[in-house]
Amino acid sequence: MSVSSQKTTSRAIPSTRRVTISDAAHMPHDYSTTPGGTLFSTTPGGTRIIYDRKFLLDCRTSPLARTPPCCLPDIPGVTSPAVSTANNDTAHTKPPLNNNCSPPAHKAAGEDAQFEMDI
Amino acid sequence: MNNKFDALKDDDSGDHDQDNISPKDCEKEKSEDEEKDPNTAKRKTAVPGAGEHPLQYNYAFWYSRRTPGRPASSQSYEQNIKQIGSFASVEQFWRFYSHMIRPGDLTGHSDFHLFKEGIKPMWEDDANKSGGKWIIRLRKGLASRCWENLILAMLGEQFMVGEEICGAVVSVRFQEDIISIWNKTASDQATTARIRDTLRRVLNLPPNTIMEYKMHTDSIKAWEDFHGLVNPSGGR
Repeated sequence: MSVSSQKTTSRAIPSTRRVTISDAAHMPHDYSTTPGGTLFSTTPGGTRIIYDRKFLLDCRTSPLARTPPCCLPDIPGVTSPAVSTANNDTAHTKPPLNNNCSPPAHKAAGEDAQFEMDI
Repeated sequence: MNNKFDALKDDDSGDHDQDNISPKDCEKEKSEDEEKDPNTAKRKTAVPGAGEHPLQYNYAFWYSRRTPGRPASSQSYEQNIKQIGSFASVEQFWRFYSHMIRPGDLTGHSDFHLFKEGIKPMWEDDANKSGGKWIIRLRKGLASRCWENLILAMLGEQFMVGEEICGAVVSVRFQEDIISIWNKTASDQATTARIRDTLRRVLNLPPNTIMEYKMHTDSIKAWEDFHGLVNPSGGR
């Protein structure tokens, strides 16, 4: 043990950083970001489980996400292909479940930047 | 358009302008030997599976479809709405979502609802009765993408309004589609403003998009007046 260790002076733990906001433009774009840029996972109301869009979309291709749910009610035209005999929607007989995840087809449109739109 | 249904136009977003589902429409579900009404039957609470990403809340998907003809009532609305299933994790959400048609491909006068488990997508539910909703009308062709962005933001807790969010609805109508998000306390302006700002951000809405906030008490009143359930002179 060297004597030099006794010369160490104490300093404040440098964990607090104050960011002064003088203009609304300094506020972060996302609610999940604090001024200055630190991500936080705990809001004043308590810890919350926060996921952004990209993370959720990435989970879609996981094997766990691709098994059909149990007890899915059969609603023709909604959870199963429309059947022409069920009601008067006879014209609509093509399989409607194009919501199924097929990564190559959806990749370009689904997981990149959001679209612009005019309403 | 100049008919009495214009009166409903302002509120044509997944609410009580519904009729009983016709026997034909539900024969498929009923003929399976389901002994109980799936909406009220005791369900096992969904739990995240091993290796899955838990959500802050459990949610349930619902579906409703109007069949023209008979007058609507509050009761028939409740009978008309069908729970598709509930989930507790990101992966479980995708299982349902990937096996459901996209809202833009729905036919007729239909709605998807995604609400926290335990909250019925009805004005009268305890969680909703003091609440309201933000409504955004969309031209045809945008509903599927907007709905996906809306529910991903809700499931991912992007709104940052504590317990306030109740659920979201996409309503497919004849000439336009409507998405809305419901919250618990219509009088809480800080919350409703924050929800509005988050909607603008997650939906990538142009600045001139019209967003309308509507209290459920007003929706109920308008609906009752329209259906003659309340003497118009006494109501307002």
